[in-house]
Amino acid sequence: MSGPILEITGLAGGYGGADVLRGVSLSVERGSIACLLGPNGAGKTTLMMTLAGLIRPRRGAMRFDGREVAGQPPHVAVARGIVLVPQDRMVFRTLSVGDNLRVGALRQAGGRRIEADLERIYGRFPRLRERRGQMAGTLSGGEQQMLAIARALMSRPKLLLLDEPSLGLAPLVVEDIFRLVTEINAEGTSILLVDQNVPMATGIARRVHLMEQGKITFSGEPGRLPEEELVERAWFGRLAGNAATASREEVG
Amino acid sequence: MLMTLPAGLALGSSYALLAVGFTLVFGVLRRVNLAYGATVMLGIYGALWVQERTGGGPVLMLLIVLIVTVVIGIYVEKLCFAPHSRRAAVTSMAASFAVWMQLEEVATLLLPGHALPFPSPFGQASGLDVAGFRLAHLLALGCALSVCAGFWALLYRTGFGLAVRALIESRQAAACAGIDVPRISALIFVLASALGAVAGWIIVGIDGQVTPMFAMWATLKGIIAAILGGLGSLPGAVAGGLLLGVVETVAQRSFGPQVRDLCSYLLLFAVLALCPSGLSALWSAAGASRAAEET
Repeated sequence: MSGPILEITGLAGGYGGADVLRGVSLSVERGSIACLLGPNGAGKTTLMMTLAGLIRPRRGAMRFDGREVAGQPPHVAVARGIVLVPQDRMVFRTLSVGDNLRVGALRQAGGRRIEADLERIYGRFPRLRERRGQMAGTLSGGEQQMLAIARALMSRPKLLLLDEPSLGLAPLVVEDIFRLVTEINAEGTSILLVDQNVPMATGIARRVHLMEQGKITFSGEPGRLPEEELVERAWFGRLAGNAATASREEVG
Repeated sequence: MLMTLPAGLALGSSYALLAVGFTLVFGVLRRVNLAYGATVMLGIYGALWVQERTGGGPVLMLLIVLIVTVVIGIYVEKLCFAPHSRRAAVTSMAASFAVWMQLEEVATLLLPGHALPFPSPFGQASGLDVAGFRLAHLLALGCALSVCAGFWALLYRTGFGLAVRALIESRQAAACAGIDVPRISALIFVLASALGAVAGWIIVGIDGQVTPMFAMWATLKGIIAAILGGLGSLPGAVAGGLLLGVVETVAQRSFGPQVRDLCSYLLLFAVLALCPSGLSALWSAAGASRAAEET
């Protein structure tokens, strides 16, 4: 099957009364990495949580894998193949590393298949195998991020939503994470990535979506916008970006 | 002193079951279920009502207590918890208080009278002694401990148990990992009600009677034991229940029934003063410092 794996149009909603998302439209091509950039408060995390079913959208359509899925509960989203690795990682700190991974596979009935998947995951993450009996709360930040991604893989995602996986991690670890993301994608999983590390994110993404104040203000290949402008708008939004460009022009 | 230990542990292990049931609901939903004791009481009254008409044995009684308690537990969940899962926690607590009053009223309408005799499930054994200990107490202790062991196996050996433990830690993360949170929450009510039913059946069996005060009494004992252990900790609930049972029994034997409840509140005060996050902090602190040494 070809065509986009995820296509959303006019998605609006948010927590409580106010709409954080004000008509978001974007699509993720099957088997690609798409990258979502934007300043703090633009609604990136709200969008990710809405896609994962944690927040019900008030308006708009959401097609996943050829099926209308807006308003699905989170466990149905996971069963259909949309799996979110949330921003603050959210590993189960008091459960062992092994149990954390098993939780990700609870939807896949059948103990033998779970153990086989677990072996596959341990093969890819030898560090997690070493620490499988340890409580997840005792892992380092980078290891917890690896565990969160590994747990998502245990759910056999078709579309992996990664919300700022490199947040607060050391540069070397960030490189590991980005290498891991490209590897997962190479095996056929589509990925929607939110990250503030613009050079690295645009380096691996086929398409970039820029989100400002609850709307998508640019969608296209990363090369279509100069990296400077992309960085400025991803961090500060369009107004700040314009101001920065303008002041530099004055100086230049 | 030593001779009161089996009696104390028999009572305490039933408290432990009540506290585990209470802690399960609190741990998974972060909400207090004040109707918990009333649910169990209606189960016991239901069994007595059937027994008045058919004259069933102790196993049939247990079965009816279990069925009625679980059905009422589901009713409480559907009425007080499921519809308010996104509202403030106090909404559910207030609703469960109203349902407590309602259930208590239904029970006393079903069987009026102040104290109703409840046939002891350990009837034939109640007079017998084993090595100086009352056989009935040993049987009650054995019953409660085997239910506890079965529950532990469910929690640590099955996928359902893993989902429950994940949910106790974080509802949001559990939802992200694909756990059907509303379904597990409803099942938790079934499980907590079943544990409460067994505990209630054992307790009124030892006492030989049940009064309309049982609802408040059972809720209080469950809450006190759960707080003693550290609210939200299942091993803590077991430890808190056992400790409460032993202290109450020793107090009753030494100073009489009036002092018994006083002592349980004194115990609660002492534990909260010395170890404010409950008994479970003792071993989880030890575990945390062990982990810190290893790394």
